[in-house]
Amino acid sequence: METKTIFDEEIYFQDDDLSYLEKNRDPLIKWVLFAFASVATIFVFLIIIFLFVNGAPFFAAVPLDEFFFGTNWYPSKGDFGALLIIVDTLLVTLGAIVIALPLGILTAIFIAELAPPLLRKILKFTIEILVGIPSIVYGFFGVVILSTWLKDIFNMHDGRSWLAGSIILALMALPTIVSVCEDAIRSVPNYYREASYAMGATRWQTIRKVVIPAGMSGITAAMILGIGRAIGETMAMTLVLGGVFRLPSPLTNMLSPVSTITSTIALTWGPTAQGSIEQRALLALAIVLFLMTLIVNTISNIIMTRVKQKFTGEKPKEKYSSLKETKVYQYYKRYKQLIITGFVIFLVILILPDANSQLFGSVFIIGLSFVYYIYKKVPKQRKRLVIYSVLLSFIGWVLSTWIGMFLAVLICCIIFSAIVFLKRLSSVLQQQIWFGFIYMSSAFAVFAVGILVFYIVARGAPTFFEPGFLIGTPSNSGREGGIFPAIIGTLQLTLGSIVFALPLGMFAGIYLSEYAKDNKITKFIRAGIDNLNGTPSIIFGLFGVVFFLLFIGLPRSLLVGILTLGLMILPTIIRTTEEAVKAIPQSFREGSLALGSSKFQGIVKIVLPAAIPGIVTGAILGMGRSAGETAPIMFTAVRSHSRFITFSLLNPVMALTYHLFRLSGEVTGGLERAAGTALTLLVLVLLLYGLTFIIRIRYEKTKQW
Amino acid sequence: MKILLIKKKNIYQEEIENKKKSEHYNDEFVIECRDLNLWYDDFQALKNINMKYRKNKVTAIIGPSGCGKSTLLRCFNRMNDVIEDCKIEGEVLFNGKNLYNNDADVRLNRKKIGMIFQKPNPFPMSIYDNITYGPKIHKILDDEKLEKISIRCLKRAVLWDEVKDRMDDSAMGLSGGQQQRLCIARALAVEPEVLLMDEPTASLDPIATQKIEELITQLKKEWTVIIVTHNMQQAARISDYTAFMYLGEMIEYDKTEKIFENPEKKLTENYITGRFG
Repeated sequence: METKTIFDEEIYFQDDDLSYLEKNRDPLIKWVLFAFASVATIFVFLIIIFLFVNGAPFFAAVPLDEFFFGTNWYPSKGDFGALLIIVDTLLVTLGAIVIALPLGILTAIFIAELAPPLLRKILKFTIEILVGIPSIVYGFFGVVILSTWLKDIFNMHDGRSWLAGSIILALMALPTIVSVCEDAIRSVPNYYREASYAMGATRWQTIRKVVIPAGMSGITAAMILGIGRAIGETMAMTLVLGGVFRLPSPLTNMLSPVSTITSTIALTWGPTAQGSIEQRALLALAIVLFLMTLIVNTISNIIMTRVKQKFTGEKPKEKYSSLKETKVYQYYKRYKQLIITGFVIFLVILILPDANSQLFGSVFIIGLSFVYYIYKKVPKQRKRLVIYSVLLSFIGWVLSTWIGMFLAVLICCIIFSAIVFLKRLSSVLQQQIWFGFIYMSSAFAVFAVGILVFYIVARGAPTFFEPGFLIGTPSNSGREGGIFPAIIGTLQLTLGSIVFALPLGMFAGIYLSEYAKDNKITKFIRAGIDNLNGTPSIIFGLFGVVFFLLFIGLPRSLLVGILTLGLMILPTIIRTTEEAVKAIPQSFREGSLALGSSKFQGIVKIVLPAAIPGIVTGAILGMGRSAGETAPIMFTAVRSHSRFITFSLLNPVMALTYHLFRLSGEVTGGLERAAGTALTLLVLVLLLYGLTFIIRIRYEKTKQW
Repeated sequence: MKILLIKKKNIYQEEIENKKKSEHYNDEFVIECRDLNLWYDDFQALKNINMKYRKNKVTAIIGPSGCGKSTLLRCFNRMNDVIEDCKIEGEVLFNGKNLYNNDADVRLNRKKIGMIFQKPNPFPMSIYDNITYGPKIHKILDDEKLEKISIRCLKRAVLWDEVKDRMDDSAMGLSGGQQQRLCIARALAVEPEVLLMDEPTASLDPIATQKIEELITQLKKEWTVIIVTHNMQQAARISDYTAFMYLGEMIEYDKTEKIFENPEKKLTENYITGRFG
């Protein structure tokens, strides 16, 4: 051993200070983490596999064209025309987006650009908390208050309808849309704005011509996320849509009752027999739903990546560059439209059964292709005009089915002349008018959400503060008595799911961000996790039934509920851990390594302590989601009524969400208790979300790099 | 153009003259690299590097951005292992043993070859914890010893007087120059033999830079220092030997005064006189 005196002081270190175990600890730990990551990944893919394996037999029994083009849905009579349900789902979603998108974008502009700092902070805080309101609470509001209003306004027989569903979905999607849009707008660098002001532009011109185009991809992503949330929303839809299997007639009649994929599954799964064709049909619907959200998620992921690349200046890697030089590709590029049209026609002929519809479909697609061809020839400056006129005529058509041709044309003319008039005003006046719009719609959005919260609090407070409500047991099917067992059940489910999901998700997240190589397998796993993050909760519920109850044979119990909820929040936890760990600068790791630490020592002593606030925030958000979900537990874990608290994992429990669902739907005359339950749920979830906010504020204060 | 060149030479002249008077040279080598080649994916960042670094001397590596000088430095304590798609061929001998041998203990070698990074990177904890992080990792857990080490290292890094009253404050509250000296103290705390410095003053202001430079000249009495720098005056001021790299190749490596007064290669002369860079 070489000895060396440093400034003639004693030396404390010896050369060989590592035991065999320590030298080999790192690979060992890597394998342990890898095992956790694999278990998480296996679960993620099990969900997809089980869904498809169990749904597939349906497609063997029922021809595809009946399922995708039939418009009668009577599973008991052997009619499986899912088109009507798919169309209904799309209509409800479309209605929600039409309401929520303009409101959301204008409100986001207000918060990001116009609001004074204090108001901005308050609004941001409120929005982040509103994202956490459980969907069943929205459903309760929809069925008790909104549908009565609609009934009175439109003189309907029953207020539950497509319109009620769309409004509720819009309210629900609004916080998500505003929050993502606001982030997109805030992330536009300030020097863009300064450059625009420096050339004498007004604030509105700057927002309209510089900020919005720069943040456009983020705004699109917000829209798509909103659509994803709306398509997958279950519990509120079971309550407010009316649950009738019929297409609206005419197709624009928003007052007719409808059924979405999610509400159909949630409402009709219970009575179906195990392994019956009806049950398989519902699984087939779930597959369709999964594919729909898959498409939506994939598009939003692509857009989000582009947003990142745009601001970091990274260029996407040129893929298949050698392929692109081949002659075949050149031909493809040249006749792209022809080839795609031909392929679609081929598919149509393959799917459609008889010659008549085949001919009709082909002609329709050729027409569509021709219109697109013409549109591409339109010069760029005129494209907006084409889009506007198409939009306007669409609005005209929708209006004409409601209020007659004459009035519709009149309104369209007024809109058109208003736009033309607005364009001729001075820029300052234009700014004032637009700001007026922005103020109005933000006020409206705040008002709408405010009404919801106000009604729940006002209706629920008397019951909530009634002595014995929070600590009593229910009686008379929940119409009387308290909700203590439900509170305990929800807490058990929530805590259980986090205990199951946190270690699994945290270790998997650490493995993915610190150890996994950036290869195709990792990308594939990450894509799987990302997609499950946006998968509707009802699909997790079905997986819980198909896998834990039917395949493994567990009883309907707390344990299955915990596992199902845990799986549902697993993707969120993996991703938040990954993000939190990745946010720690690489220089910390290098600093630790350069002192001779092992990789794992660096992670445990430097990276994890700094990442803890992010991980905890993810965990609490997961708990909030667990506490507020109904769909995953309604077939797997809950019982409708119980006087006692159970501590056995193999017994079913009561849960606040399911209790509220029953009281606002099945059980008549339980609205008082329902309101109290809704308020309890709201308080519980908002407390959890408020906690994450406090953590974030403290963390931002102490964060120093 | 000519006037400018003469002026520039004169600046270095003064530094070099001072050096000539005070120094003598020995020929004991600590680190030696043989036929070192390094690729990032397809890009060859280092081409056939052969160098010997002398003990208790300051060796500066200069060159334009992207010439591979930081990469070379990171080879000496295997920090390139962290980077994916990085492939290394050749040998780096440290006290006669190859760092890239299979039985070489990476952690032990990193302990003996400390590194200071371009951007000060104190950990987000207290000053005391920062200094004792290394010793704790290498299993010195005795509080008394840890305290002795931390005081000793802070004194060596000429930081003690500034921080002695706030050892428990977060290191993130220090100024940039103080943070960098803290990082030096932290590296010294595990008693390395060699200090690698990757542009240690690049993100600091002139006064902090001057302090670090003074510190480096102090450190060389006991340690071997290899420093990568952009600043040629700095290289001329503090180094005994200078290596000039260009596009991954070692162009010239000699005594500092030789490089700055009378370089052999045209390329070196062009760079030193500022004709490109």
